[in-house]
Amino acid sequence: MSITTEKKIQWCPGCGNFGIYNAFKSVLEKNIDEGRLKKENIVILSGIGCYGYITNYYDINSFHATHGRIPPLATGIKLANPSLSVIAFVGDGDAYAEGMSHTIHAARRNTDIKLIVHDNGVYGLTTGQFTPTSPRGFKGRSTPFGNVENPINPITLMLVARATFVARGFCGDIKHLEYILERAIFHKGFSFVDILQPCVTFNDTYSFYRSRVYKLEDTDYRTDQYEKAILKSLEFDDRIPIGIFYEKEEESFEEAIRGTHNYFYERQVPDISEIVREMI
Amino acid sequence: MGEKILMKGAEAIAEAAIKAGAMAFFGYPITPQNETPEYFSRRMPEVGRIFLQAESEVAAINMIYGAACTGTRVFASSSSPGISLMQEGFSYIANSNVPCVVANVMRGGPGLGDIAPAQGDYFQATKGGGHGDYHTIVIAPHTLQEEVDLVLKAFDLAEKYRIMVVLIVDGLLGQMMEPVEFKETVDVTKFKVPEWATVGQGDREDRIIITSLDLAPEGLEKMNLHLQEKYRKIEEQEVMVEEYRMDDAEYAITAFGTMARISKTTIELARSEGIKVGLIRPITVWPFPSKTIENRANQVKFFFDTELNAGQMIEDVKLALNGARPVYFYGKMGGIVPSAEEVLEEFKKHLGGQHE
Repeated sequence: MSITTEKKIQWCPGCGNFGIYNAFKSVLEKNIDEGRLKKENIVILSGIGCYGYITNYYDINSFHATHGRIPPLATGIKLANPSLSVIAFVGDGDAYAEGMSHTIHAARRNTDIKLIVHDNGVYGLTTGQFTPTSPRGFKGRSTPFGNVENPINPITLMLVARATFVARGFCGDIKHLEYILERAIFHKGFSFVDILQPCVTFNDTYSFYRSRVYKLEDTDYRTDQYEKAILKSLEFDDRIPIGIFYEKEEESFEEAIRGTHNYFYERQVPDISEIVREMI
Repeated sequence: MGEKILMKGAEAIAEAAIKAGAMAFFGYPITPQNETPEYFSRRMPEVGRIFLQAESEVAAINMIYGAACTGTRVFASSSSPGISLMQEGFSYIANSNVPCVVANVMRGGPGLGDIAPAQGDYFQATKGGGHGDYHTIVIAPHTLQEEVDLVLKAFDLAEKYRIMVVLIVDGLLGQMMEPVEFKETVDVTKFKVPEWATVGQGDREDRIIITSLDLAPEGLEKMNLHLQEKYRKIEEQEVMVEEYRMDDAEYAITAFGTMARISKTTIELARSEGIKVGLIRPITVWPFPSKTIENRANQVKFFFDTELNAGQMIEDVKLALNGARPVYFYGKMGGIVPSAEEVLEEFKKHLGGQHE
């Protein structure tokens, strides 16, 4: 089954969003075809950025919402109806600037939502300002003399916030990204995937990343060691690890507070005619 | 000085703030005002002042709030959704009585809306926006020269009354280019730290506390009465309004900002057809020029209010007239700007065939 729409994709040719778009599309199509995911049970969200239009390009119920507030919005959806697969696309501006606190609290709360970060280190939609993941010295439209702030390390941050699934992908390696996204979607609890992507117009990092990334899966790295994951996450220089840093199954927030109840199906729908009669 | 320079609106407002002595700028990227922070990012280091791109508008307004508490001239800009995020800060700043100037380059709303010019934030700007009984002075320029002149005026008003002044412009004024003249450059070395500022106790006897809190209702009432007294004084003394071709007018258009500018062309078109119409253009939309409008009630047959929204300022026009004359409305939403001809056509619908 194809989940594409007829909308014309508006991203720049060569945009890193295409890699993420294609990887997610294959994962969803494959798992819908094989019966592991029901299309009618998936909700996707997006925040603000060029990537935000991604909700237009999948034929899936979606919610293009507020800048930075995607984790609470996704939390609301999941808590209202826990049988949904809630998958949220966000940008580095959403996840690490405007809504950094939401990202941290969603992680420590371990609600069963999936956060997929289009991390290109630049505000592309507003034409090229630095973000919290832009490196020091980055020259953008609001840093003509170079960025003087330290970038954050999203992987370390999410590990310390006790996210139960933490991974980094690279949009230039679609097969590997598919593997990560599939694992993230089927992880029970909060999943976090930071995806390194270039912005071909304002921050072209293709060759930078391509020459540095290596796969954790190609090494003897194990994903069940919390302290070692934190140490591994600090590696971000000549070599940049991609892959799953940490995964652990823990009770999710909704399980902890309500067991198997689903208010969405159990709620009492009031009889409209009763209400109307009362009003008259 | 005295030289006319061709500048884009969003950059002219930044240069005007620098010339007016803004020592710090805080903001967050949002279209259609990115040229303003970008201009500051180049110019502020040149003049040894502060430019900071914050992590969010919530952070930016609180940086403004903090810097303003030290008695420093501070400036911020954003666009509608970003200004909404700042509303908490607006309310706190109001009850803390600290001065600052913020520009809102209004875009289409509500929600994410679009990035085209709009005036849908009139209610938010003039009626509060944040919680509690407060006002900010709200200035709505209609040309770039006026915008540049009013930036300095905004800082003066902010400091005179220890109040936030909001400049509302729309995407059109932000993006257009016009020749502007910067008439005055403030000598920032002459700035004195005001006596209310939290800058360290030094040899003062009493310590300074800036707060918007008083848990005792009588205390909070006192704070509110102080604010209201200040607002009444501003309403009496600081109204700015332009009356354009009103001397012989039989009809009055009311409009602000870009729509006022378009209306001026509409008026020329109408007058070439023998229709005597003038314009009442509030420059301060708060305090609102109610008296000016009231004074023209007996002169004109009706008022015609036109805005880039569903009808917001029209409520203040109607309050000023208190039913004395009919007030008709024409507005466009979604970021659509009507032409002078369209406005004229809508206006003429109310003439009852007299000038057909």
